[in-house]
Amino acid sequence: MTPEIGHILLIVFLVLSFAGGFLPLTSVYLNNQTFEIPIKKLAFSLFLLIFLSFLSLVYSFLIDDFSVAYVSQNSNTNLPFYYKFAATWGAHEGSLLLWILAMNAWLISFMFLTKCSDKNFTNAVFSISCQVMFSFCLFTLLTSNPFERILPIPPLNGADLNPSLQDIAFTIHPPLLYFGYSGLMIPFAIAVAAMLFNVDTKEWAAYSRPWTLLSCSFLTLGIALGSWWAYYELGWGGWWFWDPVENAAFVPWLLSVALFHSLIASQSRSVFGKWSILLSIFAFATSLLGTFLVRSGILTSVHAFALDPERGVFILGILGFFVIGSLLIYSLKDFKKDEVKPYQLSSKEFGFLLNNLLLVILAVSILFGTIFPLIYEAATNGKQISVGAPYFEIILFPFALALGLLQGIALYLSWGVTSSFNFLQRLTLESVSLFGIILLVLFILFDNLYLSSFATIFLACWIVAGTLQVSKKRNLNYWNFLKKRLAVTFAHVGMAILVLGVGVVTSYSIEKELILTPGDEFEFGDQKITFQSIEDTLGPNYFSKSANIIFEDEKDISSVVTEKRTYTPSGQLTTEAGIVTEPFQDLYISMGDNLEADIWSFKVQIKPFIRWIWLGALLIAIGSMLAGLNRIQRS
Amino acid sequence: MKKLIDILPLIIFAILIVVLFSFLSNKNNQLETVLIDDTFPKFSLSSLEDDSRLLTQADISELPALINVWATWCIACKVEHPFLMKLKTESILPIYGLNYKDNREKALELLKRDGNPFEFSIFDFEGRLAIDLGVYGAPETFFIDRNGVIRERHVGVVDDKIWEEKFAKYLYE
Amino acid sequence: MNKISIFCILISLSFGNFATTGKDYDFDKDAYPFENEIKEELFYSLLFELRCPKCQSSNLAGSNSPISNDLKREVYELIKKNQSSDQIKTYLVERYGNFIIYNPPVEPATYVLWFGPFALILISIFSILFFRKRQIQ
Repeated sequence: MTPEIGHILLIVFLVLSFAGGFLPLTSVYLNNQTFEIPIKKLAFSLFLLIFLSFLSLVYSFLIDDFSVAYVSQNSNTNLPFYYKFAATWGAHEGSLLLWILAMNAWLISFMFLTKCSDKNFTNAVFSISCQVMFSFCLFTLLTSNPFERILPIPPLNGADLNPSLQDIAFTIHPPLLYFGYSGLMIPFAIAVAAMLFNVDTKEWAAYSRPWTLLSCSFLTLGIALGSWWAYYELGWGGWWFWDPVENAAFVPWLLSVALFHSLIASQSRSVFGKWSILLSIFAFATSLLGTFLVRSGILTSVHAFALDPERGVFILGILGFFVIGSLLIYSLKDFKKDEVKPYQLSSKEFGFLLNNLLLVILAVSILFGTIFPLIYEAATNGKQISVGAPYFEIILFPFALALGLLQGIALYLSWGVTSSFNFLQRLTLESVSLFGIILLVLFILFDNLYLSSFATIFLACWIVAGTLQVSKKRNLNYWNFLKKRLAVTFAHVGMAILVLGVGVVTSYSIEKELILTPGDEFEFGDQKITFQSIEDTLGPNYFSKSANIIFEDEKDISSVVTEKRTYTPSGQLTTEAGIVTEPFQDLYISMGDNLEADIWSFKVQIKPFIRWIWLGALLIAIGSMLAGLNRIQRS
Repeated sequence: MKKLIDILPLIIFAILIVVLFSFLSNKNNQLETVLIDDTFPKFSLSSLEDDSRLLTQADISELPALINVWATWCIACKVEHPFLMKLKTESILPIYGLNYKDNREKALELLKRDGNPFEFSIFDFEGRLAIDLGVYGAPETFFIDRNGVIRERHVGVVDDKIWEEKFAKYLYE
Repeated sequence: MNKISIFCILISLSFGNFATTGKDYDFDKDAYPFENEIKEELFYSLLFELRCPKCQSSNLAGSNSPISNDLKREVYELIKKNQSSDQIKTYLVERYGNFIIYNPPVEPATYVLWFGPFALILISIFSILFFRKRQIQ
């Protein structure tokens, strides 16, 4: 019965969201009270509907109702209950439900927390959002219904959740990511509403800014968590692969960062109104595009499972409708000239313009690189190429350099014109000193300095010095000064720490593949590694071969376990890595194959400063969340 | 007159959508075959049936022929097997087997039990000939023409339909 | 230690990569033993650049599939025969096509990929400066 309730709730949602997408705008355009509806109440009702529908799916998982097709594809009686809960979003259909839920959460937050006097504007934002949610709901009901049943004879047990998803990070990563993606719907709706009703740039930017910041914060956390999860779950120590799925999340992140920076200028100086509109549209578009690329099957490589192209067509249709629709409005609209004070090349405004430019071109390049293999294959009639990490890293580097340099001087720039660039001298001195200190620390820790890491490490120092501005002249004492800019300090210092982590781990990592039998010892880096023993262990829904490994150096001795797990009932194999986390490095070992008898292959790595990457990302997320929450109250 | 720059985003995005739509209908899931129009690579490996017999590319003498990559661990190969047997019994063209990274005893047993459609099978235990052919799994099938040149390759099970679509035409050249 | 000596140490050490593990190797536990570190680094860096032909989206370093292991062995043997990075890549491309290297080749068909981003930057910067000049006039 419960699945049917969930299904019906979804249908009611469909109808109400259609009404919500249609009526408020009609009432505004026709200036007719009869079509007016209480949008706050409707927003709340929609939220309740999708929440309960989602809950009914969760319930089906928790009680092992294998008559629901989706549950039987993604769960199993032996699955621990917290994974049953997370399995709700483990595959396509359920994850769509989560998307819709997230969009609703954002909408009611916007409706209830934003104080806005322009009723036309709020009606428009509400309507547009309802249209988006309606299309997702239609897509779900028509092509991806999670409530489909296997009747009259349901299977006795399910196929089980994909083993690489059976992990704690998996329970948090998709929700965070989906909240990030779907949050961009609000800035999109605001931008379109602003165009439709000629809202002043200053005004609509103020409304949009907090929601962009908050979405970006969730996206940052989601992406960082995905990276961390891939690192320890996939078993071979990588943390970013420039995989199409990852790029699909990175591109909207870049655009949302560009957007909220552009909105600062729009709000303060009424400038870049068009940039901000286009960025709002494209940030949302690329988050939808990401969804499309990942679910339609076009970006899978040569030996992959075929996903449904019908779904691809539908998502592309949704994407096309909203983006082409909004771009049409943009093309046809007569933008009134804002009262803009002119600005020099030395100004903050120009800094934001450069920032927009660099981030957008980087995003376009990454997107293009991701779909290029498809274009190439079509254009050359069958020849194939791969565009992967080496390419993206080469392209990223100059952009990161330019953006980092800009980030360092950004907080010194003033609106209109920056009177003096004297700060550069102090900034350079502070950066170089910090750079020297860090090199010394690295030398003490790792006995080595690598030229290849210098540029990145210097960049990190530049950003820190430019953000903390230790020696800048100001009226306040230093701590009050920082308190006023807590959010941007967290975010920019976080970025610097992330850059530092990337620079160090890229140049300082070492790895080796080993062949060992129990009792063997091996010297690697400054560690002595001992393969103690191998055991058979049993988990709730798997059995495994576990290798006990000891890492020993002058200071500590740590033991870890790395496993090769076989999950019943799917029979799938996973490798669980053994990781020792130290403050300045990770010691990483993963099991390979059983070559003969007791002889196993291993891959061992030392990864200095890798955790700093995610620490940096966390700080960025905290910074943008603080900034976002701050600004809701003011607007 | 609207400035071009305002219409540009719309045009670019519209093109992107059209391009993406077109990708949906072109679904190729095979790795490109680089060796088309090359002669069959040189090799020197033992025969599956007789480990003292050394085979080379000269032994693939009855042409045109198919080379079929197979193994006992390959489940799809079992699905393909009846079709290969049909090709043999109807004497359509000779098939040479490439036994890929397999166990000799198990492979011989499979042929005894299910029938042997191959003139002989090359025992490629280490997969080196397979790498020279750009093979990355099983089953895979190559068509070699009268001159010993590779003309076509299929990754996956060959059945009547695939045979008609991809290979049959080379037989009648 | 005074500043000058620190500076000197930093300068002298900044020339090149001195990847010294400093300890003795046990060659028979090394899955891919090499006679020197340069070859070993070449090996591991190639594993990052080469794509597993069978996997959905993975390089050789991150894949344990049979074909990946076979290709690793090929690369290992080619390095031992003193083949260069380019020679090894050519060897593999002859068999598996350009698909197998993650760095797309620089050829007319890929110019837009390699030079596009920078072309875009240059075009936009020039346009912005050009429009500003016009505005000021």
